[in-house]
Amino acid sequence: MAPPDIRPLLGWVLPPLVALLLAAIAVELWVRIADVSIWVMPRPTGVIENFFADFGRYFSEGLKTLGVSLGGLAIGTAAATLLAAGVAHSQVLERAVLPIAIMVKVTPVVALIPLFIIWMGHGWNPKIAIAALITYFPVLINAIAGFRDVDPRMHDFFRSVDASTWEIFRHLRLPAAVPYLFASLKISVTLSLIGAVVAEFFLSGQGGLGAVIWIEQNNLRLEQVFAAVLMLTLIGVTLSTAVVVAERLFSWRLDQPVAAS
Amino acid sequence: MTSLTDTPPSAAPLVIKHPIEPDAEPAVRLDDIRLTYETKEGALLEAVDRTSLTIRAGEFTALVGPSGCGKTSLLRVIAGLTAPSSGEVFVFGQTPKEAQRHKRLGLVFQEPALLAWRSVEDNVRLGLQLNPRETHSSTNVHELIEIVGLSGFERYRPAELSGGMQQRAALARALAIDPPLLLMDEPFAALDEITREQMRYELQRLWSVSHDPRDPPRSAVFVTHSVAEAVAIADRVLVMSPRPGRIIADIPITTSRPRRPEHEHSDRFVNDTAIVRAALRSPTTPAVPLDAA
Repeated sequence: MAPPDIRPLLGWVLPPLVALLLAAIAVELWVRIADVSIWVMPRPTGVIENFFADFGRYFSEGLKTLGVSLGGLAIGTAAATLLAAGVAHSQVLERAVLPIAIMVKVTPVVALIPLFIIWMGHGWNPKIAIAALITYFPVLINAIAGFRDVDPRMHDFFRSVDASTWEIFRHLRLPAAVPYLFASLKISVTLSLIGAVVAEFFLSGQGGLGAVIWIEQNNLRLEQVFAAVLMLTLIGVTLSTAVVVAERLFSWRLDQPVAAS
Repeated sequence: MTSLTDTPPSAAPLVIKHPIEPDAEPAVRLDDIRLTYETKEGALLEAVDRTSLTIRAGEFTALVGPSGCGKTSLLRVIAGLTAPSSGEVFVFGQTPKEAQRHKRLGLVFQEPALLAWRSVEDNVRLGLQLNPRETHSSTNVHELIEIVGLSGFERYRPAELSGGMQQRAALARALAIDPPLLLMDEPFAALDEITREQMRYELQRLWSVSHDPRDPPRSAVFVTHSVAEAVAIADRVLVMSPRPGRIIADIPITTSRPRRPEHEHSDRFVNDTAIVRAALRSPTTPAVPLDAA
């Protein structure tokens, strides 16, 4: 296979990078010319300098946040997909579960963090629980819609050969739901990061980038706060890109013909 | 096993392969079927009215009638996808559910209804894969794909095929389980006129294809609103009235097989279509929604 042509990709990546660079230069000039206090706004070059000087710290704390985020995402997504499979098959279950799921959805989940700390202690568990709960709802709703978005004629064909409920799920509902699951994953992957960071604010003794931000803002060390935020941005971009790449690899709704070769 | 490809479309043995067997267990027997739907407003709508019908083994039956006359409903009753409000249905002496269980039904719809994430080959294989305990047929999927004219497209996804090719794949999927009864609901209605006329003669050929020479001759119920299509392909044309649907004419088409496209220019063909059209025009009961209250 020939190496992929990256020129079209550069067309998408370069403009925002240039815009970002210009914004950073503008802030840099403002801070220097107006002599803005470092307690209010650090110089972007100072932030970058600190980011690389203390990279080991941001990286290892970032791994903790990433762990919480991915742990919550995995548990939340798995639980929501399982429940959605049940709901898609049972109207009684739907009536029982959906109102509760919507109640959880409209409740700001971070409000439960103090409770979770009481119940689960000061370890990883309450943080993962919050990340899981915050990712749960978009996956549940999308998965239910996906499992049900089945062409009735296809369903008729399955019935006409007496396919079992499991066979209909495995070969019809589950593949039909794949595009829906990826759509919800795009939302929940960033939500899980939000959940992880907010939980880390409360549990600042456990580390993680949320804890770094909390501690450094108490010390009024804004360069460190911005450097931690920069690391969070990088994690967010990486996670979102990973979902998009996975979708390209696994989703059947492809723009490109698969049999072209 | 004899190669299926040895049988060209015009070969005479096709006729021998599906003689109508008057003494065999009938393929379909409907006994006083009624089908009533409840509309969203709560009114009762009679779709099919007191219909009794026997389709003999090996018989190709076309069901014609105006839109909404209940012909699709009747087909779904035979397939066991819709339960009749009253009356009894037998498919080879069994209930439709039992016929489903033993994979005796091959369904083709107006839309191809292929699984978008599967290749042509895997779509054709689907019926064999499901309910595997009942998979006895020694279907060679590649041979079947060749017969429907999709050789070389095995690895393609449905979205990459034309409408006609998708419908061929759907036909191959139905035939893969080697069903003694093919049930088709306007399978060519969504195709362009040229493809459509071509497909009816291909269907005639495919219908006769069986993997096991000991199999009983295959029967078919073919729902259409094209009179020409019905007369061209069927042994028997059943004409349904507007809703509530009932069978108002039963017209035998005795033209020998294999039939060729040129036949559509013959006097006999013109005459047969005229008879069917006359039956369709005959005075019939208007649609009467039965009020629930």
